[in-house]
Amino acid sequence: MGVKCDDVRITSLSVVIVFCAFAFAQMNPSGIEPVASALRAGKFDEALQHLQAELEQHPKSPQLWALRGIALSGKGNKKEALASFRHALTISPDYLPALEGAAQIEYDSGGTGAALFLGRILKVHPADPTSHAMLAVLDYRRGDCAAAVPHFEQGGAVVDSQPDAMQAYGDCLMKLKETKKAIAIFTRALAQPTADMQARYRLASAQLAAQSPKDAIATLQPLLQQDTAGSDVLALAASAYEADGNTPEAVRVLRQAILSDPHNVNLYVDFANISLDHQSFQVGVDMINAGLVAEPKAAALYVARGVLYVQLAEYDKAEADFEEADALNPKQSVGSAAEGLAAVQQNDPERALSTVRAKLAKKPNDAFLLYLQAQILSQRGVDPGTAEFQQAMASAKKAVTLRPTLAPARDVLAKLYLQAGENEAAAEQSRKAFNSDPKDQTAIYHLIQALRKSGRTEGIPDLLKQLANLRIEGTKEEAERNRYKLVEEKSPAMEKPQP
Amino acid sequence: MTLSRRGFMRLSLGSAAFAATPKLLGQGVATHTVKPVARPAPSGRPFYARFVDVASSAGLQAPVIYGGIESKKYILEATGCGCAFIDYDNDGWMDLFLLSGTRLTGDPPGATNRLYKNNRDGTFTDITEKAGLKDVGWASGVCIGDYNNDGLEDIFCTYFGRNRLYRNNGDGTFTDVSKAAGLWSDQVRWGAGCSFLDYDRDGHLDLFVSNYVRFSFEHAPVPGENVNCNWKGVPVECGPRGLPTGKHSLYHNNGDGTFTDVSQKAGIAGATGSYGMTVVAADLDEDGWTDIFVACDSTPSLLFMNNHDGTFREEGVLRGVALSDDGMEQAGMGVGVGDYDLDGHLDLFKTHFAEDANGLYRNDGKGNFDDVTRSSRLAVDTRYICWGAGIVDLDNDGYPDLFMVTGSVYPEVERKLPQYANKTPRAVFRNLGNRTFEELGEEAGPGVAEAHCSRGCAFGDFDNDGDIDILIVNLNEPPSLLRNDIKHKQNWIKVKLEGVKSNRSAIGARVLALYGGKVQAQAVLSQSSFYSCNDSRLHFGLGDSSAVDIEVYWPNGLREHFKNLAANRLITLREGLGISPNKGWERT
Repeated sequence: MGVKCDDVRITSLSVVIVFCAFAFAQMNPSGIEPVASALRAGKFDEALQHLQAELEQHPKSPQLWALRGIALSGKGNKKEALASFRHALTISPDYLPALEGAAQIEYDSGGTGAALFLGRILKVHPADPTSHAMLAVLDYRRGDCAAAVPHFEQGGAVVDSQPDAMQAYGDCLMKLKETKKAIAIFTRALAQPTADMQARYRLASAQLAAQSPKDAIATLQPLLQQDTAGSDVLALAASAYEADGNTPEAVRVLRQAILSDPHNVNLYVDFANISLDHQSFQVGVDMINAGLVAEPKAAALYVARGVLYVQLAEYDKAEADFEEADALNPKQSVGSAAEGLAAVQQNDPERALSTVRAKLAKKPNDAFLLYLQAQILSQRGVDPGTAEFQQAMASAKKAVTLRPTLAPARDVLAKLYLQAGENEAAAEQSRKAFNSDPKDQTAIYHLIQALRKSGRTEGIPDLLKQLANLRIEGTKEEAERNRYKLVEEKSPAMEKPQP
Repeated sequence: MTLSRRGFMRLSLGSAAFAATPKLLGQGVATHTVKPVARPAPSGRPFYARFVDVASSAGLQAPVIYGGIESKKYILEATGCGCAFIDYDNDGWMDLFLLSGTRLTGDPPGATNRLYKNNRDGTFTDITEKAGLKDVGWASGVCIGDYNNDGLEDIFCTYFGRNRLYRNNGDGTFTDVSKAAGLWSDQVRWGAGCSFLDYDRDGHLDLFVSNYVRFSFEHAPVPGENVNCNWKGVPVECGPRGLPTGKHSLYHNNGDGTFTDVSQKAGIAGATGSYGMTVVAADLDEDGWTDIFVACDSTPSLLFMNNHDGTFREEGVLRGVALSDDGMEQAGMGVGVGDYDLDGHLDLFKTHFAEDANGLYRNDGKGNFDDVTRSSRLAVDTRYICWGAGIVDLDNDGYPDLFMVTGSVYPEVERKLPQYANKTPRAVFRNLGNRTFEELGEEAGPGVAEAHCSRGCAFGDFDNDGDIDILIVNLNEPPSLLRNDIKHKQNWIKVKLEGVKSNRSAIGARVLALYGGKVQAQAVLSQSSFYSCNDSRLHFGLGDSSAVDIEVYWPNGLREHFKNLAANRLITLREGLGISPNKGWERT
């Protein structure tokens, strides 16, 4: 969601006018008052007339040039307004009202100078919340959340008063995986009188990401109690119920979402995931079939159904689905990769390798296919120094270059490095894999082995504890998932989504 | 709307072969799965060992009763038991000891552990009752050792119930001294693997016992009751997942015929969370002190490293021997110990469940292990559930091979899914000499190809002809006794150790054989394979070498070197006293 920060501009402009009036009044109360009065009344032409006369007498007054800039800006003449502000700054480089005016114009127009002006304001007035807020938004727009967050923090009440700025702040914290802080921000946003449905949704998303599904469910309740709860809300609620171990409610809500939004492919994929988690593969297939009635060209649904067919050992059907997915969406190639995976499931790693190689010939820069190739070769037991080992290594390296967050590819690469005796490299890859996926037991295990072999044992005890804890958590999660199995009721009244 | 990669990964990798986390797939065992890799082309090299099952003609006709035949209600009926080669009467001929179970419906006639005396002519006589060893119950593992240093091998058996220590009286009889020795448990426990060992080097054999599961009939779930009670969609006996893990015990030998439970003090009791099975006690890091490895089912295996002060530290995960090479749990049952790559260090071979490769772990000499399963080409076959195993030179070519027995735990599955047979063949992987193996089938003889539901197996030379024979427990069938008929004779040597300052059985001793530019390590063990005990005479195939140097690292620290020993004989070495006369080696 983009953030609109127009309100920030208005606030800034008002401050400028008041400041200028006050500042210049201190110097020449009789000369500036008519200008200020005209500006307050929105009579920008009148203000300009006064200013013209004053400027003839005081051409080097930065204040007058700044006020001219304000008047021109008020008239909508941004280009000349900016020129006026710049002129004021040539006379007095740190003149705050001119800096603020120029910054606002550049900010609104998306000009590259906004950040520079805002930076100069902060040198003069380091704690200026408006400048911080605006810089935060600029950084957010550029995708630089690490830079944005400190500015959001210092934006204080300015940020708090802007719902979109609060959402951007929270979004940035989520991207930086500072989930608890994000929750605090979203909670504040929700407490604002201007809070809307999105604020509640975002808070619930953050709570779910922080593994507090009960909190997420509580947050969503006011929305769920409405008849008009959208499918995205229902889908989020389903995820929260499932994470809370309440699979029956998750399924109920997800079905409701599907009924309300039968063309939403993601909902069927979510259902397939729940079916997979609960070993209820045929139920998942049946729901995907319903989805395909509504969206017969959804590649994702063919992939999802193919994966479920693999679990049912119906490999021919799986292969057909993956081929169809590939044909429908050749760019994504998930179907290709899944086909390779399915071949492996059939106890046929040689066929899996040839399948993956064939797909790679057409899509040589597909990270997932490269990962699969590396993994299959590794599983075959390639020895360091051999051509196949080199190929496995090259594939894995390329996969992680193309997709740095592909943790399984880093796991394979780490294992290959361990085999080759390159323990430092193995440790590096394992750490990166773990950063991408904090539940990656393989990454921690490889890291332990790499550190032991390189003699760097100081961090190992903590890693061993982490691994043991992850194992325990994983066992608990599995036990939770296995509490429920999905079964279909063969009732004539069973609803199916209508296309 | 396209399926995001994150969504696909979650969707497909959760159950795929490459899952980063194990998926239970609704069953009670760990499901680390490995797809079999393509078999390399056959080497074409002849294999001269040939195994024939002579059990029946040898007089081993009584079945090993163990639980239901067509189906098993509880996991207790499925895990089975071990066997042992033991020279109980010190006549130089290996006698046989086979454990047994019972049935849920009551003890059937003939259900008992059995001691068979070697008649030295290829046959055996059942002397169980006369020896005072008749006992019926759910026996699990056996470990052999002279706990009181009187020169006679004693027997310790683990049970679901209460473990037993049988003292060898020296007159052909045994006495159950469990209570007197302080080894009688007040509570019912499920003893699994065991090993005598001298962990504190005081010359007396202490005792380690692993426990599998805390089980009770009253509380155990039944087939189909929950997801841990299903396999491939068929309701089966439950577990071990979902059942509480057992607690392992270490007993210190007080030197007066009694033992003291030092589990807590020694740091053993802290290792909870694993379903313990076979126990191996050996000096794996070659620091002169015995360590303890426990193969564990569906949980990380355990490696207790000796701190030299009466305590241990558990380092299985750290040393690379607890989990798969991807850090995943496996179903670890049996353990073979030997030196497959002839680098003078003791490697481990652990047997696993079907659809997973058995694990070969190469020791770097300091007790750190690398999983070399794939590079050694062992992952070509993942069809069977494997149990007893050994790293043993079957053809005397000087390169230790791998042998394992197999058998299902779910006899009922075969009726619905015929591809998962209850009785399955043995497996032989011959060592090609380049750190890889080649699976053999019928080349190794009919005894290997025959299908049984097997569990423990012990390696020894029952006919004293200079090769390795194999005794195998078959559930609800008579045992197998695979006699090795080597066609092309190659050289060998057997080493029997007698401790003097060290424990009499020399358990924990490490022996290196140097021959033809090679060095092979073996250890005197009280238990290995699955719940079983091998012939205490260490057998080294020497290939073409007609002489061998032997280095002995005695348990109490003495090191001795014997040079240029002639091949094709048994030598008995007494600690500090050199070569001693053999006991009854010559065939009659």
